[in-house]
Amino acid sequence: MSYYEFMGTLELAFIFAILALGAFITFKILDFPDLTVEGSFPFGASVAAVLITSGLPVLSNPWVATFCAGIAGFGAGYLTATLNVKFKILHILSGILVATALYSINIRVMDGPNEPLLNVDTVYTWFDTVEVMASFEAKTLFLGALIIVIKLLLDAFLSTGIGLSMRAAGANPEMARANGINVDKMKLYGLGIANALAGVSGALFAQTIGASDAQSGIGMIIIGLASVIIGMSLMPSRLMWQATFAVILGTVAYRSAIAVALNADGTGLNASDLQMVTAGLVILVLVAQYYSRNYFAAKKGRKS
Amino acid sequence: MIDLKNIHVTFNAGSPLETRALRGIDLNIPEGQFLTVIGSNGAGKSTSLNSIAGIVPVGQGSVVVNGINITKWAVHKRSKIISRVFQDPKMGTCENLSILENYAIACGRTQPKGFGFAVNSNIREQAAKNLSVLGLGLEDRLNDMVGLLSGGQRQALSLLMATTGDTKVLLLDEHTAALDPKTAAFVMELTNKLVKKLNLTVVMVTHSMSQALETGDRTIMFHQGKIIFDITGEERANMQVKDLLDLFKRDQGQELADDSLLLS
Repeated sequence: MSYYEFMGTLELAFIFAILALGAFITFKILDFPDLTVEGSFPFGASVAAVLITSGLPVLSNPWVATFCAGIAGFGAGYLTATLNVKFKILHILSGILVATALYSINIRVMDGPNEPLLNVDTVYTWFDTVEVMASFEAKTLFLGALIIVIKLLLDAFLSTGIGLSMRAAGANPEMARANGINVDKMKLYGLGIANALAGVSGALFAQTIGASDAQSGIGMIIIGLASVIIGMSLMPSRLMWQATFAVILGTVAYRSAIAVALNADGTGLNASDLQMVTAGLVILVLVAQYYSRNYFAAKKGRKS
Repeated sequence: MIDLKNIHVTFNAGSPLETRALRGIDLNIPEGQFLTVIGSNGAGKSTSLNSIAGIVPVGQGSVVVNGINITKWAVHKRSKIISRVFQDPKMGTCENLSILENYAIACGRTQPKGFGFAVNSNIREQAAKNLSVLGLGLEDRLNDMVGLLSGGQRQALSLLMATTGDTKVLLLDEHTAALDPKTAAFVMELTNKLVKKLNLTVVMVTHSMSQALETGDRTIMFHQGKIIFDITGEERANMQVKDLLDLFKRDQGQELADDSLLLS
C-alpha cells in the first residue's frame, strides 16, 4: 500500500469511526441493536449534499449543512426509539422500518438517486489552500483531530448525570427505574445521539467522495458493529474512555484490513467484494472470540 | 405512610389464563411502621408490593404514599419517594459500573439528571463514609466493578443505595432469600439498623414465617389475593410459627400446603 493509499484509508477510517461511536452507544451502552444507521447515514449525506448545493444563505455553508445532517440523523434515531418504547415494536424491526422508509425519503430529498458535489465548497475546500503539507494529508489530520474531539465530548457526556443514567438504563433497566431513571427517555436520547453521529459521518463521507448516494447506507451497520467488535477484542477495557478509544482503534484496524484485502495482488478481490469481505471479517473475529473464550475457560477449569 | 384502598389486580384479563392476583386489598401502613408480609406462592404478597412500586398496574383502587395519590405514576417517578431492594442481588446494582458509579446513581435518584459530572469529590467522600459502616472494606474498592462483588456484598450495597437520599418508604422483596444463612443474617441486621436510624416505613415480603414474626412490628398474611390476618402488638410478640399455622387452619379450614413458609 502506498503512502497516499494509507492516508486515504485513515481518512475513511476516521469518518467511519464517528459512525462506530454511534454503534457503540446503541449496541454496547444501551443494549439496543439499532439498524437505523443504514438509513441515517445516507440521510445525513443527502441532507448535507442538498443543502450545500442549494445556494441558500447560511444553510449552504458546508459546516452548517454537516450540522444539519446531524440533526436529521437525530430525528431518525428518535423515531426508531419512539416506535420501540412507545408502541412496543421490536427494536430490530423498528430500526429496519425507519431505515427502509429513509431509503425512499433520501431519493425524495435529493430528487434522484444521487446528488453530486461538484464545484461547490465542502468542509475540505479550505485544506486545498494549506501550504505546509499536501491537501490529502491536511484532510486526514483534520479528520483525526475531529474524531478525537468527538470522542472526548462523548467521554465527558457519559460521565455526566444523564450519561451515567443512560449507561445504567442499558445495563440494568430494572435497577435504573428503581433509581428514578426514565429508561424510555434514555433510549430516545441515546438512539438520537447515535444516529446524529451516523448522519454527520454520512455528510463527511459524501463530501469526501464528492457525491451523496441513496445506496451508500448498505452495510453501514456491519461497518459500525465490526469496528466496535474488533476494537473491543483488540483492547478489552472496562473504563469508558478506553472503550471509546478502542472503537476508534477498531475502525482503523478494520478499514486497514479491508484495504489490504482489496488491494493485495493475487487475492482476486475487487471493490464490489467489499460487503462480502466485511461480513467475512466480522464472522472471523466472532469465531475467534468464541474459540478464545472456550480456550481460556478450559484452561481455568484445569487449574481449579 | 402508605395507604392502599380496594386494590384489584388481574393478570391476563379477558383471556383463559385470567388470574385475579389481588381481590380488593385495603391496607394502611402508618409512618415508621415495619410491616412483614407472608403468604404462599401466588398468594399476592409480591403483587401487592409491586403495585406499590408501580411495576404492576392496578386495575382498580388507589395507592397513596405520604398523602400523594401515585396510582397513575410510572415506576421511575415513584422511586423518587419509594426505594426498593430486590430479591436478586444482581437486580439492585449495575455490574459493569463501579461501586462509586452505582452509588452516584442512587444519590441522583431524587434529583433531576443533569449535565454536571455524576461522580465528584463530594459523592466520593460520602460513598466512602457510608460504605465504611458496612464493615466490608468496600470503601477501599470504590473503583471496582460491582460485578466483582459477592451476592451478600452486592445486597448490602443495594440496601445502602436504597437508603441514601430522603425517601422514607422502603420496599424489601425477599431481599435475604438468595443469600446463605450467615450473609442473610448480616443483611437483615443491617436492614434493622438502617431502618431504625432513618425511621423508615418498611414493607418486607418474606417466605419465612419465623423471619416475619421476628422482624418489624406488624405481620400480615396473604392467601388467594386477600389479606387473611393482620397481627400486631402483644398478640404478635407472643406468637410462634405453630400458632400462625393454627390460625391459618382455623380461618381457612385447611392445612397450609407450602413447606417453604416453614423454612429457616
